[in-house]
Amino acid sequence: MTDTENAKRDLPLSGMLVVDVATFIASPYAAAILGEFGAEVIKVEHPVGGDPCRNFGTSTRTPDLSLAWLSEARNKKSVTIDLRSKDGAELFRQLCLKADVVCENFRPGTLEKWGLGFDVLQKDNPGLVMLRVSGYGQDGPYRDRPGFARIAHAVGGLSYLAGMPKDTPVTPGSTTLGDYMSGLYGAIGVLIALHEKQKSGLGQYIDVALYESVFRLTDELAPAYAMYGTVRERHGPHVKSAVPLGHFRTKDDRWVAFACTTDKLFERLCQAMGRPELASSGLYGVQAQRLEARHEVNQVVAAWAGSLNRDDILERCIAAGAPCGPLNTIADVFADRQFHARANLLAKETPALEGEVVMVPNVMPRLSETPGRIDSLGPTLGQHTDHVLGTVLGLSPEQIRDLHERKVV
Amino acid sequence: MASKKQTSGKGVDPIMADSAQEPAPPLDGIRVVDVGTFIAGPYSASILAEFGAEVFKVEHPIAGDPLRRFGTPTKRADSSLAWLSEARNKKSVTIDLRMPVGAELFRKLVSKCDVLVENFRPGTLEKWGLGWETLRKANPGLVMLRVTGYGQTGPYRDRPGFAHIAHAVGGLSYLAGFPGQTPVVPGSTPLGDYMSGLYGAIGVLLALRQKAKTGVGQMIDIGIYEAVFRQLDEIASVYSMFGKVREREGAGTVIACPHGHFRTKDEKWVAIACTTDKMFARLVEDAMGRPELAATNLYGTKAKRLANRQDVDSIVGSWTMSHNRDDVMDMCNKADVPIGQINSIADIFADPHFRARGDLVPVNVPEVGEVVVPGVFPKLSRTPGRIRHLGPRLGDSTDEVLSRLLGLTAEELKQMHESRVI
Repeated sequence: MTDTENAKRDLPLSGMLVVDVATFIASPYAAAILGEFGAEVIKVEHPVGGDPCRNFGTSTRTPDLSLAWLSEARNKKSVTIDLRSKDGAELFRQLCLKADVVCENFRPGTLEKWGLGFDVLQKDNPGLVMLRVSGYGQDGPYRDRPGFARIAHAVGGLSYLAGMPKDTPVTPGSTTLGDYMSGLYGAIGVLIALHEKQKSGLGQYIDVALYESVFRLTDELAPAYAMYGTVRERHGPHVKSAVPLGHFRTKDDRWVAFACTTDKLFERLCQAMGRPELASSGLYGVQAQRLEARHEVNQVVAAWAGSLNRDDILERCIAAGAPCGPLNTIADVFADRQFHARANLLAKETPALEGEVVMVPNVMPRLSETPGRIDSLGPTLGQHTDHVLGTVLGLSPEQIRDLHERKVV
Repeated sequence: MASKKQTSGKGVDPIMADSAQEPAPPLDGIRVVDVGTFIAGPYSASILAEFGAEVFKVEHPIAGDPLRRFGTPTKRADSSLAWLSEARNKKSVTIDLRMPVGAELFRKLVSKCDVLVENFRPGTLEKWGLGWETLRKANPGLVMLRVTGYGQTGPYRDRPGFAHIAHAVGGLSYLAGFPGQTPVVPGSTPLGDYMSGLYGAIGVLLALRQKAKTGVGQMIDIGIYEAVFRQLDEIASVYSMFGKVREREGAGTVIACPHGHFRTKDEKWVAIACTTDKMFARLVEDAMGRPELAATNLYGTKAKRLANRQDVDSIVGSWTMSHNRDDVMDMCNKADVPIGQINSIADIFADPHFRARGDLVPVNVPEVGEVVVPGVFPKLSRTPGRIRHLGPRLGDSTDEVLSRLLGLTAEELKQMHESRVI
C-alpha cells in the first residue's frame, strides 16, 4: 500500500464509494468535498466530451482540462459511460449498486427517463444516498426550467440587492456562488443521510435547488417583509443598518472595507483617523446619530481614506483595533501573508500538463486530526474507465474492450 | 431505538407537528453547545438542530447573544427577527464564562456534549481556561468548531472579524460592481457568515463520523475569509498560470454573452444566462423572433458574441425593454431559454414556486405573533429537517438543562441565579 493510500484509510470517509454523474460545479462540488475527506469518487462522464466543466472558463495546454475542471474535479476518477445507451444504463446501475452515494444534477425526470430514477436505484441498493441538485428542485411549477447559478441568484433574491440604488443590479461578486453554496448544502445533506443510515440502514435522496441555497442566506429579509412589509433595496457599497460600513477608495486608487457595527468600533476608527472628537456623543458617537447623518459620516471617512495609501490605512486601523480590510484582488491574495500562513493556496504538479504546477484553493473546512487531502487534480477523460470497470464491477478485459468498441464507455 | 421527540406545542405551527410513524431525526441524541454569537458559528448549530440535535445556546446572563438585538426588533424585547429565525430549535442557557464558577459549569456542560460551537476571537476561551486542550482532556470525543474572521493561526488571527471584511479579504467584494466604479456589497453583508456556517456543519458532521470509528474528537478551524475565497472558481489558478487579475464585470461576465441582467418595460429586471450557442439561438429565434441574429457571421458563435458583447447586450436589452417582465419570462420559458426574475423579497412572497416548495414557513411565536422564516435546507426525502420553534427567550432552559445534565439542585440553581453566574 502506498503512503497516500495509507493516509487515506484514516480519513472520515475512507472506504466510501461515491458516484458523481453530475456536471459543472454545484453537485460535483459536494462530491469533491467527500473526496477530500477520503471517499473514492468516480466521476461518470459521457464518452464524447465528458463533463462540460472540462471546457468551462480558462483552458490549459491540454484539451478538456480547463483550470476550473482541474481544481474542482480534484481527487476524482474519470469513467466514461453513455447513459443513453441501454447497456450504459445497465452498467451505471451496477455501479450504483456498489455505491454509498450518487451525486447528480440533471433536469428533474432525466434519470427517470433512462430507467435510473431514485426508486429504481434504491430497490437495488436500499442504503443508497442520492444527492439531486437542480435549478428549482424536484417539484414545484418551475421544476422543468433550466437552472444556472446566475438565475438562482436572481430568483433567490440576492441579485436584486447587489448594485447602486436604483441602478442595474450587478453580479453579486461571482457568477458561480450559488453553485458552491448548493454544493455545500449537498455535502451537508449527504453527511446527515449517511449518519442516519448508520442507525436505520436506509438511504434517502436529498433535493437541493440552487435558488433555495441562495435564498436561505438572506438573514432577516423574509421575516422583515412578512411582519413589516419592508422591501430591502440595493445600497451600493454600504448597508442601511450601520455607518460607516462600506467600501472606500484610498489615495493609491485601491479600496478598503470598514465595518463599524457598534459605537465602540466607530470610536476606534476615529482614533485611527486621529479625530477622536468625532466619536463624542454630541457628534457621531451614537449609531442613531450616525445613521441620521449617514452622508456626512461617509464623507468624512471617505476623505480620510482618500488622503492615505491603502497600506497606511490598514496599519492605522489595525493598531487601533478598528475593523478594516483590503478589497483584495487575486494578485493581492497571492501576496497576502495570511493566505500563505494558512496554506489557503496549494501548488499541485499536474502530470497531464507535463508536470506544470497548478495553484488551487486548498481544502475547506480544516480539521485538526484528519485534515482533508488533495492527492490529484481533475483526471483526463476516461482515465480510470478500464481500472474501475475491472476492479469495482469485475468485468473482464474482453468485456471492457467490447464496451469500448460499441462506444458504451 | 428510543425516540425522544419534543412535542411541546408552544410556538410550533401545526404544519410542523410530528406524526407518529416518522423515523427519529438523523441527529437525534447528539448534544451541541453553541456559545457563538451572531451567525457564522451559530448557523452550523442551527443546521444540526434542524436535523434533530439538541442545541444548548449558552449566553451571557445579562446581555445574551448580540444577535438578539441585530436588525429588525419585534414586540419581544430580547428577540429581533434575525434572532428568531436563526436561533430556531435552540434552548437558551445563561452562564457567565468570565466568572470562574461559570467557567467550571461550562466545562462540565461541554463534557456531557458531543459538539461545541464557538466564535470568540482566538485565545479568548483559553484565557478563561476553556481552550481546546483543556476541553478535550475532559471529553476526548469532543468535536469543537471554531469560526473566526481569520482562523486560529496566521498573522491576522487577532484582528476583529466581520463578514463584510471577510468578503473584501477573500476577494469577493473587489469583483462586485461595474468596471472602474466603486465595488458594492455582494448582495448581502452576512453572506460570508452563512458560508462559514455551512463549512462548519460539514466539518462537524465529518468529525462525528470519524469519532464513530475511533472515539476521538477533533477541532475544526474556519476563517470566514477562507470560506469566501473557496467559492471563487478558477480565479486563483488563472492568476497563477496566466497572471490574469479578474476585475468587476458589472451585470455580466466575460465568459458568456448574453449572460446578465436586463430591464423590462414595467421597470423590473430579469437575469438571462445563455452559456451556449444553442441557448442563444433559442433566445433570438423562438423568444425574440429574430432568427437572423443567430447566423454564424453575425452573433451565432460565442466568440462573435463575446467580441461584440455591448451590441448583443443592447439588442437583448431593447427587446426586454419592449415587454413587461411576465411576458419576457413567458416567451423565454417557452423557448427553454435560461431566465429568472430578479426577485425582490415582495416578488418572492408572490412566487408560486416558493409556495409550492414550502420555502417560507410561518411560525407562531408567543408575544410576537406570526413570523415567516426560510424553511429547512437541504431537503431530505425520508428524514426531513424541522422547525420546532423559533429563537428562545434568554435563559428559557437554564434550570432545566443544568439540573437534567449536571444534576444541579434547586438550591444550587437559586444560588447561582443570585450571584449572576447564570
